[in-house]
Amino acid sequence: MRNFHLVHATTFSTGLLLAAGLPWWMTAVFGALAGWLWAKSNGQGFWGGFVGALLLWLIFAVVRDVDNEGILSTRMGALFMGLPRWGVLGITGLLGGLLGATGALTGYRARVWWQAKQA
Amino acid sequence: MRLPFEQTLYLRPMRGLWFALSLALTGGLVWLLHTPIPAGQQRIPALGSFFNPFSGFWRNAEPAEGPQMPAEVRLSGLRGRVEVVYDDRLVPHIFAEHLEDALRVQGYVTAQHRLWQMDLAARRAAGRLSEVLGERTLELDRLTRRRGLPYAAENALRGWRRSAEGMRLLEAYCAGVNAWIEQLKPADYPLEFKLLGYAPEPWSPLKTALIVENMAETLCGGENDQLATAALEALGRATFDQLYPEWNPRQQPIVPDTGQWRSIRGTLNPAAPPGRDKRLSAWPIEEEYIRGSNNWAVAGARTDNGAAFLCNDPHLTLSLPSIWFQLQLHTPEMNCYGVSLQGVPGIIIGFNEHVAWGVTNGGHDVADWYRVQWADAGRTRYVVDGQEQPVEWRVETIGIRGRAPLLDSVRYTRWGPMTYDHQPDHPLHDCAFRWVTHDEPDPSEMRSFLFLNLAKTYDNYREAIAHYEAPAQNFVFATRSGEVAITVQGKLPARRYEQGRFVLDGSQSASAWPGFIPNEHLPAQRSPTRAFVFSANQHSTPPSYPYYYTSRDFDDYRGRHLYDRLNALQRANADSMASIQQDNFSQRAADALPALLRLLDRNALNAQGQQWAAELERWDYRYEATSTAAPLYEVWFDTCYLRTWDEMLDSTGEKQTLLLPERWRFIELLDKDPTNAFFDRQDTPQRETARDIVTDAFRCMQAFFEKNPEKRTMWAKFRPVSIRHLAQIEALSRNVEVGGHNTALNAQTRTHGPSWRVIVELSPDTVRARGVYPGGQSGNPGSRFYDNLLDTWAKGRYHDLFFLKTPEELPEAHLFTRQTLLPR
Repeated sequence: MRNFHLVHATTFSTGLLLAAGLPWWMTAVFGALAGWLWAKSNGQGFWGGFVGALLLWLIFAVVRDVDNEGILSTRMGALFMGLPRWGVLGITGLLGGLLGATGALTGYRARVWWQAKQA
Repeated sequence: MRLPFEQTLYLRPMRGLWFALSLALTGGLVWLLHTPIPAGQQRIPALGSFFNPFSGFWRNAEPAEGPQMPAEVRLSGLRGRVEVVYDDRLVPHIFAEHLEDALRVQGYVTAQHRLWQMDLAARRAAGRLSEVLGERTLELDRLTRRRGLPYAAENALRGWRRSAEGMRLLEAYCAGVNAWIEQLKPADYPLEFKLLGYAPEPWSPLKTALIVENMAETLCGGENDQLATAALEALGRATFDQLYPEWNPRQQPIVPDTGQWRSIRGTLNPAAPPGRDKRLSAWPIEEEYIRGSNNWAVAGARTDNGAAFLCNDPHLTLSLPSIWFQLQLHTPEMNCYGVSLQGVPGIIIGFNEHVAWGVTNGGHDVADWYRVQWADAGRTRYVVDGQEQPVEWRVETIGIRGRAPLLDSVRYTRWGPMTYDHQPDHPLHDCAFRWVTHDEPDPSEMRSFLFLNLAKTYDNYREAIAHYEAPAQNFVFATRSGEVAITVQGKLPARRYEQGRFVLDGSQSASAWPGFIPNEHLPAQRSPTRAFVFSANQHSTPPSYPYYYTSRDFDDYRGRHLYDRLNALQRANADSMASIQQDNFSQRAADALPALLRLLDRNALNAQGQQWAAELERWDYRYEATSTAAPLYEVWFDTCYLRTWDEMLDSTGEKQTLLLPERWRFIELLDKDPTNAFFDRQDTPQRETARDIVTDAFRCMQAFFEKNPEKRTMWAKFRPVSIRHLAQIEALSRNVEVGGHNTALNAQTRTHGPSWRVIVELSPDTVRARGVYPGGQSGNPGSRFYDNLLDTWAKGRYHDLFFLKTPEELPEAHLFTRQTLLPR
């Protein structure tokens, strides 16, 4: 469990520090880094990366949305199949989470493979 | 001991496979989120780049109080310090020490708030929409280019370049736009760039020329030549003259005949132009012309405090972002407030400390078709006066997103481009397009509005507009000393009688326009004894004006009613002016409905029909939002009109083969000639009269509402108004329920309407103004300033405009932010 927390904390904090100004897909790289460093199983990697990146994207989006009083998220919701405001936030978090999850899983599997190669 | 790589994989194959699978999963997800998804004609943006909160659409969610702007900005090329004060409606008030700096900052702030709109308008006129929107706009781009819009813009720029001073100012404006673009990171791009997946380009003087041509295309690109030609050939001269008179005797022209034209020798006397075209073909039924505007100025003799009033409400396509951007420009030589067009320096409709001005569209036909006589089968040479001449080729390269560009070779003749020569079945296949906008303009044309911004007197006003060419406008004017004036200004062909009303013979040089109406002969009026001047896109003059001119669509009703309203004014004030702008009375309904009711056979109606006829009898001809009679009349009148002119339609009834007579003439025939042969329907054995048409149309109207009971409602719900986002994105558009009609002074249709209502009061003591437009100053859908003025507009209210003398004069309660721009 400790490692799960370390995975999501690392994904979240590296994103917090570095995401602005970098391409969006770097979220997967942050996840990969966290997965490489801390994950001890596929589940820890995937779900740790998912939670860390979901929080990263969601918190950034919620801060902007609250500051904006939902003007844009309401319009974007109407653009995407009439989603409500929270639905737009949900998709944002989900997309970030999936990127972090697959990234962290890949990082973990890369480490396992690399360690096997070293053995 | 370390094992070789291949052996590791062999010994631990599952680990390598797991890694490869997870890597493929991540790569696949990134690819999926990086790829736009086609959805029919639309395109869903790449979800990863669009939804991510670091550079996607969330970055366009600006704070609810408004955009954050730095207090200080360094701008290359500035000569001095510039202060920009934004009021609480996000209107920038620009205070500069030099005119050039003011325009540079105008470019900068306009791009800051409306960059995507500028890009789209320039692309539209350049025929470059397909580069970003793909094949769905290919035909539009192709037609735009074949009509010669980019060619016209290049010629305009060539003309402007002959004025070094004008170009210096234009280049300062463009540099301001580019200064904003250059500092943008992809995360900062306006929302639409992210939605459509492309990046802004640098601005240039050519793009400004394209914006001007775009407006010309909207306002003076139309004509009826082919349909009128077909009607003349099919019906014969006598019937043609009976159905299509050019002058409505009940009209009130912009400039009356007071004997001022007696000494001018023009083209009034009929002299048939050479040859006419004989082809017949079916064209989609054109919607009634719905672009237009009102403007007027009232002198102090008719107002309660002796002040003069100038009012303007241009009726254009209502869009989000709005077509207009408000601003104030203050320099040592001027202090000017008004609305600007994105991409064009200066203020188009506005006022300064001395004068005010406004515009409506002149509406004159300045576009003709010339049928070309080819000298060879390959159509590379054509004949004029028996002499062969080669065509010139212009190759248009149309970029198309997702596929190879289309190379389109367009023939240019001495008359202009062969617009439809790629469509063998098109009735104008062999015709060249002659359009005044293609001509290289006077070098000073670009500065006409800047000179107006600087004007202090009537003479300044006349000098300012003297070089203005297209689209021809009715420039209304007023001064603080109470003087009012109006001038019909533009480059108008001095046509022979009926020249340009029909397709012309391109094989004779005598078919060319003999020249242009000299400025001193253009209709103008200064401080008339009636103490007002006005225009509503109607005829510029009565038939006694010595030059022949024609139009597809001079207004027939707003001008009459506006004249009546202004003529009745006593002790007027700003509220009286507002009531005229919002007047929903339809002169056309007042002309037509009594005749329709008189002709209606009541005995043929059931109880419901009798009831609705009685409701129509009580109607006051006002298209108020709450009127339930207006929809009944609207459907009834339109049905009568189309049923009468079945001779002009094809067998489907959906396309016209001949020009449809104007509605005022139709009403005149209903009223005075109800047994006219055209009331007889083609598809019945018996002979109908107007009475039969009117009664039958009433029953059809009744059946329509009985079949669609949800439509039996008030006018504003029957005819909802949609203010569309420029990319036609529903989620970024707004619908409103308001009154008005295109025949009322409040000329509101489903898509067009008063795009800027302004009332300026000018007296020796003060200049003050109120105004509103249906939108907001920001082009960002993530801003509260995107549509914050819309509800005020829909309620028929106005905002008092802050016309400042100093940056400090704006009350703190109305201050949004201040920004200082300094030379870099």
